[in-house]
Amino acid sequence: MRSGDARHEILYAIRTNLAQDTSPPILSSPSPEGTGGQGVRTPIPRDLVARFREQLVAVGALCTAVRGETEAAAALARILTDAGARRVVGSDSAVVQRLLHAMGDGFELERLDRLSRDELFSCDAGVTTAQWGIAETGTLVLESAREQSRLLSLVPPIHVAVLSTRCICDSLGDALARVSPASHAVTFITGPSRTSDIELTLVVGVHGPQTVHVLLMEEA
Amino acid sequence: MTFERDARTALADGQLRGALRHATTLFGERRRAALATVPDWEGARDRARAIKDETLAHLDRYLEEFTANAERAGAQVHWARDAAEACDIIGRIAQQRGARTVVKSKSMASEEIHLNAALARRGIEPVETDLGEYIVQLAGETPSHIVVPAIHKTKAQIAALFADKLGIALSDDVATLAAAARQALRRRFAEADLGISGVNFAVAETGTILILENEGNARLTTSLPRTHLALMGIEKVIPRFADLEVFLQLLPRSGTGQALTAYQSLLTGTKRRPEDEGPDELHIVLLDNGRSQMLASAVTRQTLACIRCGACLNACPVYRQIGGHAYGSVYPGPIGAVLTPQLLGTGRSSELPYASSLCGACRDVCPVKIDIPAVLLHLRAQAVDRGAGKRRVLERLAFWAYATVMARPRLLEWLVRAARTLRILPPLAAWTKWRDLRPLAPRSFREQWRAGLRDQRDPNA
Repeated sequence: MRSGDARHEILYAIRTNLAQDTSPPILSSPSPEGTGGQGVRTPIPRDLVARFREQLVAVGALCTAVRGETEAAAALARILTDAGARRVVGSDSAVVQRLLHAMGDGFELERLDRLSRDELFSCDAGVTTAQWGIAETGTLVLESAREQSRLLSLVPPIHVAVLSTRCICDSLGDALARVSPASHAVTFITGPSRTSDIELTLVVGVHGPQTVHVLLMEEA
Repeated sequence: MTFERDARTALADGQLRGALRHATTLFGERRRAALATVPDWEGARDRARAIKDETLAHLDRYLEEFTANAERAGAQVHWARDAAEACDIIGRIAQQRGARTVVKSKSMASEEIHLNAALARRGIEPVETDLGEYIVQLAGETPSHIVVPAIHKTKAQIAALFADKLGIALSDDVATLAAAARQALRRRFAEADLGISGVNFAVAETGTILILENEGNARLTTSLPRTHLALMGIEKVIPRFADLEVFLQLLPRSGTGQALTAYQSLLTGTKRRPEDEGPDELHIVLLDNGRSQMLASAVTRQTLACIRCGACLNACPVYRQIGGHAYGSVYPGPIGAVLTPQLLGTGRSSELPYASSLCGACRDVCPVKIDIPAVLLHLRAQAVDRGAGKRRVLERLAFWAYATVMARPRLLEWLVRAARTLRILPPLAAWTKWRDLRPLAPRSFREQWRAGLRDQRDPNA
C-alpha cells in the first residue's frame, strides 16, 4: 500500500535525521513543565462577570444581563425586535426553546432540522447557548456535544448566545481545562466575524455574524 | 538574478511601497500594544519554544500518537512525502466523492504544494474563501503576505475586479465590497462537496486540530460540506491539549495584534451521533515535503518551530520595502528566506538567504525565538560550500588580502596613507552600487593618537 509506505518512509526520515544531530541545542530553554509563560493572566483577580462584560464590549460584542427565564425571554424578544430579526432559528437546547416560545408573537420560529441550506442562509438570527465564557478575552465557548449550535452561531447575521453567569472562567487556560472531550467540535467565539483584508479597513460580518449578543443570565 | 530584478521592480512601484509601509507599520504597532498587556511575554516565548523543541526532538513519536488519537476519534490520516503525493491524495479523495467544487480556507501548505492547479487539472474547481485569498484568486495572482494576502491591492483595484468578475456596481465602500464577496461565496459554500482547510496546531494527546481565523470562512469550510480535509505540515503537532494556551497567547498577538482572533475551531474526529452537526468524514493529510531533512541540525531544525504569524515580515526592512512577490516563493520575508530554500532545495530559492541585511529584527519579534539570522548564515555557508557563490575566487582573494593587511599594523597604515594620497579605493562595485562608501578620514585614528590624543585627559574624568 502506497500510503503505508509513505508513513514508514517519513517516520524513518525523521528518525535518521534526528539521529544525525550531535550538536547541543542552540537555545537554552526551560523545560515545558517549567513556570515560564504562566503570567499572561491579568494579575489582579476581579469580579469575573464584570471583567467578562468589559471584554465583550472591547471585542465588539453586545451584552444584556438578566435574572431568570421570564426576564430573559422578554430581553430576547427586545434584542431580536431591535435588530429587525423576523425569521429566527433556535438550537435544540431546552432553555433556548423555552425562551423562544415564551417570547410571544411577531417572529417566525424555524427549526434547524427542517431547514434546507438555502433557508438557513436566509434566516435573520440564530439563538444558542454558550457552555463557557472567558473573562480574560470576552470569549464564548460552544461545545458540539451539548447542542446543535455550530451553524446557528455562524450562518445568520445575528447570533444571540445565552450564557449562565455561573459558567464564566477566568482565563483561556481555565476554559481549555474545562471543555468537554466528548465534543468533536469546540468553537471559541470572540466578537463578531471580522476582516481587514481590504486596505486594512475593519469590516464586521464578512462570513459570520455581524452582531454577537450575549444574554447573560443569572439564576432567579 | 531574478530576485534582484523583481526586487527592483517592486522598489519602483510607489503604490505598492505605500501600502506596504502602511500595513507593516500598523501591524508592528498593534503587535507592540498587544504585548504591552502581557506581564510575562518573554516567559511565554521561552515556554512555547521549549514545547516546540521537545516536540521536534521526538517528532516521530508525537506524529504516531496524534495519528492514533485522531483515527480513534473517526478521522482518516494520510501521509504525503512530497507535494505531488499530497496533491494526488487530495485529488483522489475529491474525485471519489464526485466533487466538482471545493471550498478552501486559508492554508499556506496548500499554496506550497500548488494544490489549486492540481485540482483544476482534475476538473475540480477550487474556491478560496478567505476574503484576501478570494481577491487574489479572482485576480489570478498569488498572496503577498502570510496574514494579509491581498496587501498589495488597493480598494479601487478590488472594486474594479469585483465589478468585472462579480458584476456588481463600482463601489469605494469597503463594507459593500466585503458584502458582495459574502454573497458570492455563500453560493459556493452551499454547492461545495468538499472543504479544505489548513491546520494551526495538532494535539497529539487528543488528536485535535485547531484552526484560527477572523472571518468565519474556515468555520463554514469545516462544517458545511459533507467531507472536510485538513492539510498540515508534520511540524504542526504539539504534545498536550494544555499546550494550546501559550500558543493561543502568542499567535494572534504576534500576527494581527489581537488578544485572540474571532474564532478558534477545535476539531476532534467526526461527529459522534448521526444527529450531530458537521461533516461525515474528516481526512487529515500530513505533509513532509522536505521538513524531515531540516531535523538533521539544531540550526535548521528551529525553522520547524515557526507558527506562521507573519511578525518577521512586518519587522523586516527588506520585506517592508519590496513586499512578498519579489521573493518569488510561497513563503516570503525572513521566514520565507530560510524556509523556501530548505523546502525546495535549489534553483531560484538559493538566492533568498542573501535577501537580508542580518539586522536581527526578525529574531527579536519571533514569538518562538527562531534565530533566523543564524539560519540565513548557515544556508549562505552551505551555498558557498556547494560552489554556488559566483565570485568565489575573487572573494577568497579579497578576504585573504584583508586578513593579511589587518594583521600587520604598519602595512595597514602605509596602505591607508597611499590610498589617501592617490585617492584610490578598492574595487567594490557590488557594494558601492547600492551604498556610498565613506571617504577616508583626513587623519587616521592612529595618526591622531600619536599627535597628542594619547595625552589628552577625558574632560569628564
